[in-house]
Amino acid sequence: MTASSHRFPLSRRRLLTGAASLGAGILAAPYVARADEPVLNITGWGGKWGDVMKAEIGPAFESEFKCKLKTDTALPFLPKLQASSRSAPVYDVLHTNSNEQWAAVEMGLVEPKIDPKLVPNIADVYPYAVSDKIVGVCIFTSAIGLGMRTDKGYGSVTSWKDYWDAKFNGARGGYVIPANSLGQAFVMMCGTLYGKGQTDLDAAYAALEKLKPIKLVDFTGAMEKLILSGEAGIGILHDSGIYRYDGQNQPVDFVTPSEGVLSLEQVLSITPGSKVKELANAYINYMLRPNVQKRLAETVWYSPANKQVKLDARYDAKLLTTPEKVGKLIQVDWKWYNAQKDEIDSRVNRIFRA
Amino acid sequence: MTSVAPQSQPHLTAPIDLTAAPALVAKAPPRRLGRTLYLAANIAVLAFLLTPIAIVIVFALNPTPFIQFPPVGVSLRWFEKFFASRDFMHALLFSLEVAAMTTVAATVLGASAALAIARGNLPGSRLIVATMLSPLMLPAILTGLALFQSYVLLDVGRPLWGLVAGHTLVTIPYVVRTTLAVLHNFDVRLEEAAQNLGASPVRTFFEVTLPLVKPGVLAGAIFAFIVSFDQFPVSLFLVAPGSETMPITLFNYLKFDLDGTIGAASVVSILLAFMVVLALDRTVGLRSYVKL
Repeated sequence: MTASSHRFPLSRRRLLTGAASLGAGILAAPYVARADEPVLNITGWGGKWGDVMKAEIGPAFESEFKCKLKTDTALPFLPKLQASSRSAPVYDVLHTNSNEQWAAVEMGLVEPKIDPKLVPNIADVYPYAVSDKIVGVCIFTSAIGLGMRTDKGYGSVTSWKDYWDAKFNGARGGYVIPANSLGQAFVMMCGTLYGKGQTDLDAAYAALEKLKPIKLVDFTGAMEKLILSGEAGIGILHDSGIYRYDGQNQPVDFVTPSEGVLSLEQVLSITPGSKVKELANAYINYMLRPNVQKRLAETVWYSPANKQVKLDARYDAKLLTTPEKVGKLIQVDWKWYNAQKDEIDSRVNRIFRA
Repeated sequence: MTSVAPQSQPHLTAPIDLTAAPALVAKAPPRRLGRTLYLAANIAVLAFLLTPIAIVIVFALNPTPFIQFPPVGVSLRWFEKFFASRDFMHALLFSLEVAAMTTVAATVLGASAALAIARGNLPGSRLIVATMLSPLMLPAILTGLALFQSYVLLDVGRPLWGLVAGHTLVTIPYVVRTTLAVLHNFDVRLEEAAQNLGASPVRTFFEVTLPLVKPGVLAGAIFAFIVSFDQFPVSLFLVAPGSETMPITLFNYLKFDLDGTIGAASVVSILLAFMVVLALDRTVGLRSYVKL
């Protein structure tokens, strides 16, 4: 044995063990440090919603409830929830639109309703927010109507049926229906307009056939740009997709059709296997607080579900903030739609492919 | 040694009498036509490859918040928005970090596997090669979902190493393939000669084998970096909340804000990829790729 090895009695085994322990320690450190801090895993949106959640709403919740809020904004949420264990789900609170909530509840991934005793602010929401068309609770809604250009001389548009007017041929924007919930809601609207109701698919298909030529997009963001660029003169869009350009001198407007607007709900539900249900209920109650609702509504132009929210005049004039305005909302029977989705997807693909 | 006179040289330098060779005159126009067609085909391929990049650049520089042609002006507002966004900056750095780790892991594992396959006289080496390349045949979105489910079962959440492992899985085939291509024509006698001259196996590897297979390994490493940096389907399931890669951040962004920031982000990504290739050229030299 050499002198140097006496001075540094470090065998290869010791070195490797030490390095492995150090590595494990470094990797585990964040978890150990936060071991006693409860974590609430939720889903959420990006864009301005994500910005304000990250900057203000989320940190305020964390501070008040002494917890860590982990928000997954990377879609798709449902397959991840499906892949995770029911007893240890990857999310505690699922935030999606209504159609996905119905798919989730059918698979037993979320609880069908929220207990109002655990979420007291539910007492202040409009009836649509907890109706039989809603899983969990709706915290905001947008109105799906018609977005259109105001500089093309199209004249007055007041009805959904104006969307079929021949003057919009080649300037009509629509959705790839299987991929977009606004497009799916519109299928139900077609049944209502030209048939016996939302479930009259034959009438809906016949009406969709007459929309050609039409420009199809996947995302609502793309529809906004289609209208902003003038590539489409009219398109199915939610009100926030137009109102967000308020004050920016864009020649676009939102039309509330006389037959009513479709409801695009932002829904929260709780997963049955969540280990932090108390915190999950607290989060939902927090999201329904008037001050939180006001901040988010005025950031992203969503209509608050809480009746007590008082928005600034600019927002109050446009969003659904009174019982009369809310009365124009038409809720979609997503449970029924999801059950027919494969058949509808196949049929609408044939219609628009031809 | 005797020298051999280049007998054909006079024929090459002598002027050709076209009148004495009517056949050549008759063939000239088709040759010119062929060359023109060849040139046109090349230009068409180049245009096909570069048009999307040109559109992205136009979108990024156009001040309007939507794609408009012809553009109405030149503005850097989308680049300002991109660089001012904490989310985009974080995603960009995180993507670079993941791509760098993936490149190292995929290169070490892929090149080692290729060497073992080519040299190890392993039984069923064809099957091993097919297995190593199989991640390319499986839709990457399924790979992502399967890995996500595995991590959930192991109760490890969505750690950084899990994301890097996913990226490594889909990039290893590139390194294996390019390294095997070089090893295919490798002259084993060079290694034998080195060892006959007293070099140890380790020294032989670093001074003979590695320099000779470097073009393949390097090509694989570049593929690994680019594939990881642009990786979307695997990342879709494996990114953790708050740690999204650039493609995922772009996807989330365009669902809500389809403006020129997407174009600016794409231009920056293209420039970064270009800079990586340039840096590799400066440090290790890419001319050796020609051998591939």
